Amino acid sequence: MGIGLKVRRLALLAGMAVCAFGMSAAEAAEKHKIFLSMSFIGNDWQAEAANMVKAMASHKSMADKVDLQVQVAGPNAQRQIQQINAMVQAGAEAIVIFPVSPTALNQVVKNACEKGVKVFAYDAEITEPCAYNVHIDQEEAGRVTAEWLVKKLNGKGNIIAVTGVPGTSVDDLRTKAAKEVFAKYPDIKIVGEAVGMWSQAVARTELSKILATRNWNDINGLWMQVGCFTANSMQLEAGKKASELLPCAGEGSNGGRIQMLPEGTEVEGAASPYAPLGAPRISYASPPYSGALALKLAVEAIEGKDVPKKTILPLPVVTNETIKLCNEGTWAEMKAGCNAFKPSLVSNPGWFASIFSDQTPEIGLNAALVGQPEN
Amino acid sequence: MSSAALSHVSAGSGLRRALTRNRGALIAAAVLAILLFIVDAISAGPLTYFDVSFLSSGGATSALAAIGQTIVILSGGFDLSAGAVISLVNVVLASSMDPMASGASVFLWTAAGIGVGMAVGAFNGFFIAVLRMQPIVVTLSTMFILQGVTLLVMDKPGGFVSPDLGTFYLGDAITGWLPMPLVVIGVVLLAWFWLKGTRFGTALYAVGSDADSAAAVGVNVVLVRFAVYVIAGGCYGLAGVFISAQTGSGDPLVGNPLLLSMFAAVVVGGTRLGGGQGGPVGTVFGAYILMMVVNILLVLNVSAYYSTIAEGTILVLAALAGSISHASVLAVQLRAARARLAAWRAGILPSQLERVERRLKISSPAHGQRNLAAPRPAFHLRNAEALRYALPAYVCLLVIVIVTQVWLGRAIFNPGYWNSLLVLSSFLAVLALGQGTVILTGGLDLSVPWTIGISGIILAGMVNGSDAALLYALPVVLLMACAIGFANGFGIVYLGISPIVMTLATNGILQGFALLYSQGTPAGFSSPMLRWFMTAKLGFVTPVVLLMVIFVIIAVLLLGRTPFGRRVYGIGNGLRAARLSGIGVERTLILVYMLSAVCAAVVGIMLTGFSGQASLGMGDDYLLPSIAVVVVGGALITGGRGHYLGMLGGVLLLTALQMLLAGTTLPYATRAILYGLVVLGAVMALRERQPQ
Repeated sequence: MGIGLKVRRLALLAGMAVCAFGMSAAEAAEKHKIFLSMSFIGNDWQAEAANMVKAMASHKSMADKVDLQVQVAGPNAQRQIQQINAMVQAGAEAIVIFPVSPTALNQVVKNACEKGVKVFAYDAEITEPCAYNVHIDQEEAGRVTAEWLVKKLNGKGNIIAVTGVPGTSVDDLRTKAAKEVFAKYPDIKIVGEAVGMWSQAVARTELSKILATRNWNDINGLWMQVGCFTANSMQLEAGKKASELLPCAGEGSNGGRIQMLPEGTEVEGAASPYAPLGAPRISYASPPYSGALALKLAVEAIEGKDVPKKTILPLPVVTNETIKLCNEGTWAEMKAGCNAFKPSLVSNPGWFASIFSDQTPEIGLNAALVGQPEN
Repeated sequence: MSSAALSHVSAGSGLRRALTRNRGALIAAAVLAILLFIVDAISAGPLTYFDVSFLSSGGATSALAAIGQTIVILSGGFDLSAGAVISLVNVVLASSMDPMASGASVFLWTAAGIGVGMAVGAFNGFFIAVLRMQPIVVTLSTMFILQGVTLLVMDKPGGFVSPDLGTFYLGDAITGWLPMPLVVIGVVLLAWFWLKGTRFGTALYAVGSDADSAAAVGVNVVLVRFAVYVIAGGCYGLAGVFISAQTGSGDPLVGNPLLLSMFAAVVVGGTRLGGGQGGPVGTVFGAYILMMVVNILLVLNVSAYYSTIAEGTILVLAALAGSISHASVLAVQLRAARARLAAWRAGILPSQLERVERRLKISSPAHGQRNLAAPRPAFHLRNAEALRYALPAYVCLLVIVIVTQVWLGRAIFNPGYWNSLLVLSSFLAVLALGQGTVILTGGLDLSVPWTIGISGIILAGMVNGSDAALLYALPVVLLMACAIGFANGFGIVYLGISPIVMTLATNGILQGFALLYSQGTPAGFSSPMLRWFMTAKLGFVTPVVLLMVIFVIIAVLLLGRTPFGRRVYGIGNGLRAARLSGIGVERTLILVYMLSAVCAAVVGIMLTGFSGQASLGMGDDYLLPSIAVVVVGGALITGGRGHYLGMLGGVLLLTALQMLLAGTTLPYATRAILYGLVVLGAVMALRERQPQ
């Protein structure tokens, strides 16, 4: 019985603590109450996107307008449904979502819209028509990269394809679009295909498995959703010279971008394989700033501005012709055209470098790294 | 078995007995009530009927599926295919309903969903009950096969589920008073109570408590087991129908993440893993407790990085609350500690007692002579047991290698192939020792993924490309792993928390720490020496392969030739017997979990060297394989049987199989199905012998 009493007392204490919370919430009553429902936070892309959203909310133009609460639903659609509903009940004016599933949330999103809540999805899509979507054109991403690779190979050669997470719309759209391009060239053969799960680590184990029964010399090119940095590193380990690296169409990791710089470029903190190699590449990405932009658009929508239901972000494509090293990574500097960051600033080569949008002058490199907005 | 049967006992003692019997469920209900009270007290408005209605539909899918899982666990089984069944039913419904049709028959589609689930259950039941194969490996294979089939039915989210289903399942049974999801769960529970009262129900608990005794008194164990999986499949099917109604569409990945939380719901609801005790009512409360966590985190405004830590803590607290009783492990340990303290004060420690010889007087047998006389049996006789369970994996490995040679060429006579096989196997080979030892004691370590993750991240951050830094970074990371393992072991041994719940909670807490430590962006990279170790080639051999040879020898000796190894097997074969034979059960179990954590940390270090850097989530893909290889290698999931060389065979087999599939251009769905079928075929030889 003593324990029951303690539990009750604890609950009471918790209640009191929460009253204190409640008061601070009341003071902020004039601010717009916005919730962010993330799916999963345990990978590099998600964490970077979360940092950028936080930076956006704390920028001086936003800080006194927005009261942002970030919640994580994990990979479980059912939990995200319940979370979104709880957010509506808690008086959200807008909810920014990284959707676990493009379709499973439709009912709850519709329900939220009916209560006047603005729902914004970033990176992935929510198919319910009342939701606002902010993402790139995934088919374009698959097509453009495949076309680049075909051109590099002069329409002839053996390639390896490393895809994303099977069963997701994003992977399906990208892979199908790319395969349509390859199908037009009968001399392009996909000799190996692996599921890369959008992770450099998985890309390495999968490529190792493929190469156990194959040789780098039998392969002419690579089409990867994530993993070009790793593929280049593996070729160096296998004894290839930097000038012999295979053309690789793939992700926008900073490691991959640094490798694209001409061999011999002086870069602070570079160490092979995270170093300039002149690797033949096209680098694209689903940009992690999309969550921050969605938040900005959500505030505009609450303030009554006209926001389109679909914001298709320009596909951030970088090739060996357009690659340029940033000095500090401020927004102004990126606007002038730089798109890769020194290893001394970004020590993780798997970090996603497509963080520039001309619509988000509030956030630069520090936003993505530590959640600090620009001045 | 049921409390109703006690009605003839006097009311007072009957009530008390009913309370004791249903303690798990009652405490889970109380915890749920407290959580509801907290949410109500903290959130802005009072809880309205709308909130209750929404909460009830939020937890319904996991509650329904977890009821099925509970029945399986009560019978002493384990079902990993539950999440995959939910996904399959979801896509089957979403792809076969016609958006143009004016209405859909709720009854018909519900029957279809339950039917699909039961068919899968019959598949599981056939292999488990009739062919006497281990549930965990059968259902794991089923899971892979179903994931493939699901992707064949629908390769991306979409489809259409008639709103009629949503109106029915999410609506009100009595407007303003009773939401439909609660009625659905209620009906399932009523069906369960009816079933429990029948002879079948009694047989179910009997099989779960002790299958041999049940068979001895005439229970048809095969039939009971088969029926259990079919019934459970029906529950998953209904859960699949429910989530289809709730989402109005199909998504091939929707059910998979429900699996682990389902086990947590079962345990939090007071059902004991291993069978024989507990019931679905507690599970329903358990499922709702886990879903309420979402609302608690929201009203408390727990920031994203802390959410997994908070969740893990809530899980442990709920499990602790569920075990509060005079007989709980925690209470027993506290009483023992108090007694020791009192004895110490009084100056009568056990060591200071005057000891009287109490051992049984048995005339010493002349075994010395007999042993000399009898010839030592031949090797294959002495190791018959180990060989029988370890050999199938190696035979299958041979087959896979030959198929690889025929299909892809360049395998058997290509040293690069063997080197890749060994390097890629090395991660699971190390994990298999840790997970395998835990499984030998009858436990399970679910904290492997983020022990790998946090070890790799901290190592990369400390090393940052410097070989010299390895000197202190390696010990620091390994010590940290020891601490993680100690925490797991301490919770399991001294707080009496079930291994699944404890390690699942630890996993969440470690994920939170990894995020906080890295601020979401893991810094640093592997040093040249570590990368050389994992990726360079000395002739044809990568250095890590040489280490693996030494590791395998040490692992075999550790489990087979040391007192520690014998204690592990002793505990797995019977906890009480082990304790009575004077094994320090507590200390051994803690050491076992420390070994598992250290193995996971070593894998984190190796992966960091292999990839060149650490990333969040780098360990996620290693949890289920680490369990699979142990079981494919002939170990018994309930503990006590298994040999490290068998597990190693399992590792090599699964890796060779993946290499074969990766070399083809088969679509992922087909690969998943083939993978599941081969695993199922490989363990066919591991069938339990027919009970005499």
